Amino acid sequence: MRDAYLIGAGQSDYGSFPGESYRSLFRTAFENACDSVPAGIESEDVDEAIVGTLGVGGRQLGLPGPAVTEHVGLHGIPVTRVENACAASGYSVRQGVQAIRSGMADVVLASGVEIMTDVSGDAVRYWLGVSGETEWERLSGTTFAGVYAQMASRHMQEYGTTREQLSHVAVKNHENGAKNPHAQLGFECSLEDAMGAPTVADPLNLYHCCPTTDGAACVLLASEDVVENYTDDPIRVAGVGAGSDRVGLFQRDTYTAVPASQYAADRAYEMAGYGPDDLDFAEVHDCFAIAELMAYSDLGLCEPEEAGEFVASGTTKRDGEMPVNTSGGLKSKGHPIGATGAGQVVEAFKQLSGQAGERQLDDPQIGLTHNVGGSGGAAVVHVFERGLGGDAA
Amino acid sequence: MSGPRYERSKRQDQHLIGFECQACGWVSFPEEKRTCKRCGDAPAEMEEVQLAERGEIQTFVVQQYLPDDIETPQPVAIVDLPQEGEGEPARAYGLLTETDLEEIDVGTEVVARFRELFSDGERPINSFKFSVPREEKA
Repeated sequence: MRDAYLIGAGQSDYGSFPGESYRSLFRTAFENACDSVPAGIESEDVDEAIVGTLGVGGRQLGLPGPAVTEHVGLHGIPVTRVENACAASGYSVRQGVQAIRSGMADVVLASGVEIMTDVSGDAVRYWLGVSGETEWERLSGTTFAGVYAQMASRHMQEYGTTREQLSHVAVKNHENGAKNPHAQLGFECSLEDAMGAPTVADPLNLYHCCPTTDGAACVLLASEDVVENYTDDPIRVAGVGAGSDRVGLFQRDTYTAVPASQYAADRAYEMAGYGPDDLDFAEVHDCFAIAELMAYSDLGLCEPEEAGEFVASGTTKRDGEMPVNTSGGLKSKGHPIGATGAGQVVEAFKQLSGQAGERQLDDPQIGLTHNVGGSGGAAVVHVFERGLGGDAA
Repeated sequence: MSGPRYERSKRQDQHLIGFECQACGWVSFPEEKRTCKRCGDAPAEMEEVQLAERGEIQTFVVQQYLPDDIETPQPVAIVDLPQEGEGEPARAYGLLTETDLEEIDVGTEVVARFRELFSDGERPINSFKFSVPREEKA
């Protein structure tokens, strides 16, 4: 199979930016991605672009793809918008890999963008809710935080997971985000702060919930035929896996795992020929603290009953055995819905190319990204490795 | 917001009728009787089953941060409603009303009632409400 490589990746700052538009944030991300390509890249090299966005607030709901690529000088090429809620741009990256593997493109821009902070609190809650199961879940009154809180209640009951363990997720991710200049909430927080925050959806408090965010992220992928034109230090897309599930939590067979994540991880590991023990780091979808704990077990890093202790023991800290969310994760770095999946790949690129600054890990070779849509109606996992890898190695 | 386009009858609403997949035993409730959402059987052979009005809380949330016009704290649970006979239970979402927060836990028994939750001006929006059976209240 024709291999795809990560040759560059960049993001805008994540945060609340009244002076920016979705186009200006996208342009910043695109320019940062182009600047990160070691041998440089020209706009005309890009054969195709994929743009992930949910479209919070309405604005450019139709044709948001061309609306941003026209703004960065990508003219005439095929551009597609991908919508899979919070997994939109994880799926953009997957679609970019598909375009390259199929032979239809040599260089692809896979990206995402979202503006969330310029609408009212009630409006943003409405737009967050649109990815819930509408007929029963939403009309019973359950919010997005409410669905994850239901998973947390059951996790606590089944596995003895504690609020303190959930709070450790926030402490760890803020510790990392404080070293990420692009992070929205780039400050450290103590366990006391995290434990004492106001309740949002019991058992989840404010520090168990990620913020709403403006931001964009861009990833540049190249085929094995052209990768050497762009870099001497290629990063191979070793594995891609994706999966779906019933959108409503109540119709799933489990409330303490995200089966779509398990399907995605199994497929990505199988394609890559690597397993959880081979990973040097992972960027996982921590929209709520319980989501990070479930990701640990869904990705095979530990058993579900060990997830709480896995974070509380420091195993997933930057200097732990299995660093998770060195970027700060959705909790501290921020969660611009449509940009989040591509933004995770930006962190994987930075870690694997040694450009992660103060949060750089010691020479990592293999990393994973994990992006979930809604409460688990969709998920996508990528495994990246340094070098040409595969048959070319 | 438009009203829900339910595929269900008044009889289903009022009598807690589910549909059991004869291939895998999944109980669809209340809206789907053509495709099994678990095993994917389609067209599925679905047999009508009567559900009990008493079920057990599988998980729950107590929502605090909601739009200003909604009363808080607002508890919402996923409840398993057992069949009258043998077989798997159905699952339903529902608000918990007339219930003390301390009474709510995984495993708590509740009674289901189908009620109009609110109206969008033209159509009623119906869903389930649950409560701890009155005689068992502390």
